[in-house]
Amino acid sequence: MAKRRKRGRRKPRRKAARRSVWSRLFIVLAILLVGYIIFLDFQVRHQFTGKRWSLPARVYARPLELYAGLSLSADQFAAELKALQYRPVRSPRAAGEYSRNANKFHLLSRPFDFWDGSEAAQNLRLSFAGGNISRLSDGKTGAATSLARLDPVLVGSFYPSHNEDRVLLQLDDVPVALTDALIAVEDRGFYKHHGIAPLAIARALWANIRAGGVVQGGSTLTQQLVKNFFLTSDRSLLRKINEAIMALLLEWHYDKDEILEGYINEVYLAQDGKRSINGFGLASYFYFERPLAELSIEQYALLVGLVKGPSYYNPRRHPERARSRRNLVLDIMLQLELIDKQTASRAKQKGLGVSPYGRKAINTFPAFLELVRRQLQRDYRDEDITSEGLSIFTTLNPQVQWQLERVLATRLKTLESGHSIEAGTLEAAAVITSVQGGEVLALAGGRDPDFAGFNRALNARRQVGSLLKPAVYLTALEQPRSYTLATLLDDSPLTFTARTGDVWEPRNYDRENHGMVPLYHALAHSYNVATARLGLALGIDSVIATLRRLGIEQHLNPYPSLVLGAVEMSPLQVTRMYQTYASGGFRMPLRAISAVLAADTSPLQRYPLSVESVIDPAENHLVTTAMQYAVREGTARAIPPSFPADRFLAGKTGTTDALRDSWFAGFTGERLGVVWIGRDDNQSTGLTGSSGALLVWRDLFSQFNPAGWSQPAAEGIEYQWIDPASGLLADAGCANAVQLPFIEGSAPLESAPCKKGASPIPGAVEWFKGLF
Amino acid sequence: MRVFAGLIVCFVVMLLAVQGCSTTASTSAPRPVVIEKGSSAPVTTQIPAAVSPAQERAREPVVSRQPPAVVALLEHAQQQANDGDLESSAASLERAIRINPGSAVLWYHLATLRLAQGEARQAEQLAVKSNSLAPGNMVQQARNWTLIAESRRQRGDSKGANAAERRARELERN
Repeated sequence: MAKRRKRGRRKPRRKAARRSVWSRLFIVLAILLVGYIIFLDFQVRHQFTGKRWSLPARVYARPLELYAGLSLSADQFAAELKALQYRPVRSPRAAGEYSRNANKFHLLSRPFDFWDGSEAAQNLRLSFAGGNISRLSDGKTGAATSLARLDPVLVGSFYPSHNEDRVLLQLDDVPVALTDALIAVEDRGFYKHHGIAPLAIARALWANIRAGGVVQGGSTLTQQLVKNFFLTSDRSLLRKINEAIMALLLEWHYDKDEILEGYINEVYLAQDGKRSINGFGLASYFYFERPLAELSIEQYALLVGLVKGPSYYNPRRHPERARSRRNLVLDIMLQLELIDKQTASRAKQKGLGVSPYGRKAINTFPAFLELVRRQLQRDYRDEDITSEGLSIFTTLNPQVQWQLERVLATRLKTLESGHSIEAGTLEAAAVITSVQGGEVLALAGGRDPDFAGFNRALNARRQVGSLLKPAVYLTALEQPRSYTLATLLDDSPLTFTARTGDVWEPRNYDRENHGMVPLYHALAHSYNVATARLGLALGIDSVIATLRRLGIEQHLNPYPSLVLGAVEMSPLQVTRMYQTYASGGFRMPLRAISAVLAADTSPLQRYPLSVESVIDPAENHLVTTAMQYAVREGTARAIPPSFPADRFLAGKTGTTDALRDSWFAGFTGERLGVVWIGRDDNQSTGLTGSSGALLVWRDLFSQFNPAGWSQPAAEGIEYQWIDPASGLLADAGCANAVQLPFIEGSAPLESAPCKKGASPIPGAVEWFKGLF
Repeated sequence: MRVFAGLIVCFVVMLLAVQGCSTTASTSAPRPVVIEKGSSAPVTTQIPAAVSPAQERAREPVVSRQPPAVVALLEHAQQQANDGDLESSAASLERAIRINPGSAVLWYHLATLRLAQGEARQAEQLAVKSNSLAPGNMVQQARNWTLIAESRRQRGDSKGANAAERRARELERN
């Protein structure tokens, strides 16, 4: 009893407590709901505004400048047009179309906004002959055109981490046919509803019940846009509710056109490997390889049809499904009188017109793009690069890049099979620049051009070996009273004992000593002992000072072995050094970027041509002459047979201990190329500079303009015939005599015995002087 | 109670989703970048290029004839300079140099432009470059040294300017 009573007394209290728990719960829930809506509202606005800004940077190659006389073959031009996604047709009618008849082209170019102004669309005719443009004329009038600049090849984009790509369109730029079709198919009441369309949902529900499955969706464009924001595809009720609330919020904040524009840029239309294709702008390129504005009515219908299910209706994988879906869209358009009967039936007869799926890497030239990104990071924040829609104009020359990639692939294979090297073990890097402008034209970070991994051109640091030697010889030649190209250097065995007690005994590659050799010959044949002795005589510090002027900024230890190249550099750093030699003694930044435009095509920044005179042009001329002899008769003598006899060619081989690195740095008057071959595990390659890297260079440079320009001899230079054996004056009649440049007044005064009218006993005057 | 827990879970999930989203969608406005487009004042330095190659040759037999593409770019550069758009003019000259990199006169024009933009130091370097491409061409060298003198004067180096001026006069006499 007692127990019962107790229970009875407690009962009403419990009820009250339960009531208050419920009401509290209700209040908490209400607060949560309000909070939740505020949170959704924040999210909607944040997403919508954010999405509209998030645009990857577009990276362009150099634009092709067309003019009569340009060294470019018809096939090279065709390759450029292909990369530009120009369409070959029988007779070009619209921008982006061309026709080819053997060596003659007729082309309607696209307009394009460059840093220095807009280039209008042009009607052009081109003829090619002998590897050059022989004639460039106006396609209508036939009058000669002096210059035309094509739009540049898009070589890549810098995406934010989530790999979404887009070609942003403004509603004004979207063809009305597309928006009409889209609204007709996806959301007829778009301009009337407030984000959701209950009637449409009911209609869809009814249709689905009747059909016994999902046949119709009731989602408005607004709801679909919201759905895309979240990127999830679960079909839970909660998500549906969220979607509806957010759709209402979106409509509340933004007007119809803004929402439609957002939809057109946001809708998911394809998957390309890791990259999702969002928006009609990019989808147009992805499926048809041309801008949206250049498409025809059935192509718009196909794109609109794809909205329902890009993978189910994938026109490349399921062409039949895609075709019937497209025709359904055309029927709806006809039904709503958006098109007439004739147009509809003609459009329905047409093929899908989808380009074959080229498995394109997101970025075509990842190694070059890494250099671009590195240079951009000096001036822009990472977020700006990936989201502000910058247009980045680079110096990349696709023609040179393609040639380089082909040459590397074939030559490395040949080297491996020819030297019994395990296939696939050799790696390579190369940098090609324009000699006078310091523009990086092509870059290889490894033998596989599509691999975006370790970039050896930028990041591999390898011993440079003999590539360093020209700096030693230049240091000497900058003292014309003491050293000329004809000065005899001592190549006899050398033992050097440092103050620390360390003993250094450099040896020549051929293990021989060559006695007294003229300076130019010692560099051309890359004699280690003569170079070491010269370097020690000059002082390591003065060699370092020269390297600094040439553009080497890294820390350098003042050890004697430095003069033989016991220092590690990346191929790009080596290029910087050789750029100074090649350009006549002018140091310049190696540029991968020429200009940057903002998303609205207003100019942001230019990376101008700038030079700094660091080596006297005459003295620089002397050291490059010695490098010409390296090609003519020295370690790089495998080169000349591949070139016209009068071609200006200069360069230097580099080989490191145990054949770990094979280098060649060489230049013509127009282009400089630095090539490295080695192994990632730093084992021996079995290749010298001459038997490895040089061959890559030769394969590549022999494809360039054979009628190249070369640097003229500098002011203050005089040429003299020299007898190499004695280093004394000779004449053209002397056997082995060479004509060498000298700083005026520095040439030897004595004559070699072979010279006509020479003093009979060379050195007699000196001997006489010694007597008194 | 289950509903409540469910809501909390949902909220947490949403928060995570928002966090995930906020890292991808940047809210930052584009960073303003100032472009140096040169002064809008009328340009006093003229690029003596908008003359036909024939006229040019008549006046200075040592100046080599430019290809039509370069002539077109020089005319364009001149127009841009007249409009006060010096940096675009420089870009056009760089295009010309890309086509004909060994032409001393093109480098001289670029030097002239840089001087007009107040970049005296780079102007001198470009003139030195022009000299290196014009061995034996006294007329071009004299023009370059005159420009170097002006560049040094602008930088307050009157001694250097006088030396450059003397050099120019010597070359003109030859």
